[in-house]
Amino acid sequence: MLVLFETAAGYAIFKVLNESKLQQVDSLYKEFETPEKANKIVKLKHFEKFQDTTEALAAATALVEGKLGKSLKKVLKKVVAKEAHEQLAISDAKLGGVIKEKLDLSCVHSPAVAELMRCIRGQMESLITGLPPREMSAMSLGLAHSLSRYKLKFSPDKVDTMIVQAISLLDDLDKELNNYIMRCREWYGWHFPELGKVITDNLAYCKSVRKIGDRTNVAGSDLSDILPEEIEAEVKLAAEISMGTEVSEEDIGNIRHLCDQVVEISEYRAQLYDYLKNRMMAIAPNLTVMVGELVGARLISHAGSLLNLAKHPASTVQILGAEKALFRALKTRKDTPKYGLIYHASLVGQTTAKNKGKISRMLAAKAALAIRYDALGEDTNAEMGAENRAKLEARLRQLEDKGIRRISGTGKAMAKVDKYQHKSEVRIYDPSGDSTIPSTSKKRKFEEVEEEDATEPMTPAVKPKKAKRESVIEEEEQAETSAAAEETLKKKKKKKKDKKAEEQMEEPKEEEVVAVTETTEKKKKKKKKVKEEQEEA
Amino acid sequence: MVSGFSPRMDRGGRGGGRGGGRGGFGDRGGRGGFRGGFRGGRGETGNVSFVSSHRGKKVLIEPHRHEGVFICRGKEDALVTKNMVVGESVYGEKRINVEEGETKIEYRAWNPFRSKLAAAILGGVDQIHIKPGAKVMYLGAASGTTVSHVSDIVGPEGLVYAVEFSHRSGRDLLNVAKKRTNIIPIIEDARHPHKYRMLVGMVDVIFADVAQPDQTRIVALNAHNFLKNGGHFVISIKANCIDSTAAPEAVFASEVKKMSAENMKPQEQLTLEPYERDHAVVVGIYRPPPKQKK
Repeated sequence: MLVLFETAAGYAIFKVLNESKLQQVDSLYKEFETPEKANKIVKLKHFEKFQDTTEALAAATALVEGKLGKSLKKVLKKVVAKEAHEQLAISDAKLGGVIKEKLDLSCVHSPAVAELMRCIRGQMESLITGLPPREMSAMSLGLAHSLSRYKLKFSPDKVDTMIVQAISLLDDLDKELNNYIMRCREWYGWHFPELGKVITDNLAYCKSVRKIGDRTNVAGSDLSDILPEEIEAEVKLAAEISMGTEVSEEDIGNIRHLCDQVVEISEYRAQLYDYLKNRMMAIAPNLTVMVGELVGARLISHAGSLLNLAKHPASTVQILGAEKALFRALKTRKDTPKYGLIYHASLVGQTTAKNKGKISRMLAAKAALAIRYDALGEDTNAEMGAENRAKLEARLRQLEDKGIRRISGTGKAMAKVDKYQHKSEVRIYDPSGDSTIPSTSKKRKFEEVEEEDATEPMTPAVKPKKAKRESVIEEEEQAETSAAAEETLKKKKKKKKDKKAEEQMEEPKEEEVVAVTETTEKKKKKKKKVKEEQEEA
Repeated sequence: MVSGFSPRMDRGGRGGGRGGGRGGFGDRGGRGGFRGGFRGGRGETGNVSFVSSHRGKKVLIEPHRHEGVFICRGKEDALVTKNMVVGESVYGEKRINVEEGETKIEYRAWNPFRSKLAAAILGGVDQIHIKPGAKVMYLGAASGTTVSHVSDIVGPEGLVYAVEFSHRSGRDLLNVAKKRTNIIPIIEDARHPHKYRMLVGMVDVIFADVAQPDQTRIVALNAHNFLKNGGHFVISIKANCIDSTAAPEAVFASEVKKMSAENMKPQEQLTLEPYERDHAVVVGIYRPPPKQKK
């Protein structure tokens, strides 16, 4: 009888030398008490070592599922098929069935076999020669880890430590870069101070310094690929009249080294930013879509890990990063901050100051959902984030339109806004009242119209025709509000001549009406005009 | 965090007659014998070290009766194990640093309210069988909090096969196992030991904290496959889990009977009061070597 024994290092096939002992199941263990005795019962016929961890992992997964793996099939064909008359003892009945089906080998699994397996397992190190015991445990450890990872669908590109480290490095780089650039400017400024004032962009400055070196070379050097033309011209001009000191070649050399460093670090920073964007998209696509890569990375880094961030409620996500202000406000019972790191998200940045708080809260709520989906969900697509972002943008637009339309309420509840009325304060003297000679209404009307354009409705025009006045009074009663009167006044030129006649009549009455309703601004003048009218009347 | 090592109340008047604990298993039918009294390692204070804990207060570390376990004596006494990964806390527990001459050793506090094994040790269990260099199979490893302490006890020479079926806990377990090379994580159902036969060798002790109604059968299956002859098992039984309607003592008794049927001989039983309610720990031997009849 042959025995198939699977180990982490490979497949072992034993041959049972003394089958009669197998009958006595209960005392079988006695035969395996020492390595020598064990070797008398079974002998290692063949040991097929796994070539690498992938093969071992494949074999282990096949074993878990009870299937016939490739390597096992190979081994069995090679070794066992030759002795087809022998039975194969195996630990798993299901596997036995599969082997019988595929390779037509008779398999056996019984309590005796189980006992045999136990004993072999107990004496594994001595029976499987050519394999140091340490190696066996190391292999089983490695195999266990890879199998577990495979089971948990662990993927190395979903590790959020990379994000945390990358964002910290980005901040460090920025700080260092700033230091170096300031040093470079100061140092080179001894030699050519004007250059610092002319070139404001740091990277361009360093590149130019690298190219120019000593300022005497400016005229000869070509800076067109670094600087725009006007600036280049300015630089060349400034170089002629520079008041900096002379420096030696060695000094220039050192400054050049520094500039090289700056340029290199700048390029690396750009590369790192790209890498960070890729990682963020891979690890937390929904969060990236909602708040952007940088803000998302900062949130993850602040919380420590994506899973930690997912455990925070939305209100915490809203004020992550403003802890100092938060606790200070809580202690002194003042208003707590409305936003933390989330302030730098594009959605919050593009709203008016009044709505930033609202948007920050809404964004934090949806972002918390997106974070949980990314951290704990099975899929890795960004649909949910895009949907939420669209919702938020719609909400944002609604908020901004709120001043004109109420979000809830009927059309009748629309805010009533007074239409713009041009109230001019300019008064000019109307000489039409000077003459007591009656004239045609039409003519006067036209003149008066022009004058009245600039005046308030209470011009001290006296109408000689009282009859018309009476008719006017009636009409006045209809048009009570001064606003209406002003309206009509304003739209004179468009209105028909009849109406204009009415208006003329209305004016003196309007004065009184105006005086009564007090819609005009300057009461004193009004009173004066009333007096004048009374005098005239 | 840890209540002091006050002597346990001794039910059933078994205070004096301990007799090595092995033969004296009589309370099975009744209340579940209460192993009395804390037997601290006062007699074995060989390596007493003066310590500075993280607060700068002086504490004393002395070895416990069980090998690999220590007691930290200070303002409050605590059960500790020697940290295999210095400087790291697994689940936020307190770490105590010791200066022993020139060497620096770190110990981690073991919370009996979170760990059944610690509760059993503090309850005064006679033998846990988990000692330095042992190979332990841990069924129901969860997030690896107690597994880390077992790993500390068995040390770099020993091995802990930690079996856990849940994926969420499995992730945490995997993280713990990354740092400790004597833990072998197995994310499989313990009901089918043949599925992970490739990874496991023969073990000396099986510790089970699975909280399943058929846990005796699970332990038996694993024992038949992987526990050596004369190996021991330590099973934590939650009465509510097996049968929530029956009385806890009856549940424990029935479990013990099931064990005996599977060639697992129980040797001691201990309830985990005051740390857990209606919990018991049963320690026994599997396939005991036949007694030489004289």
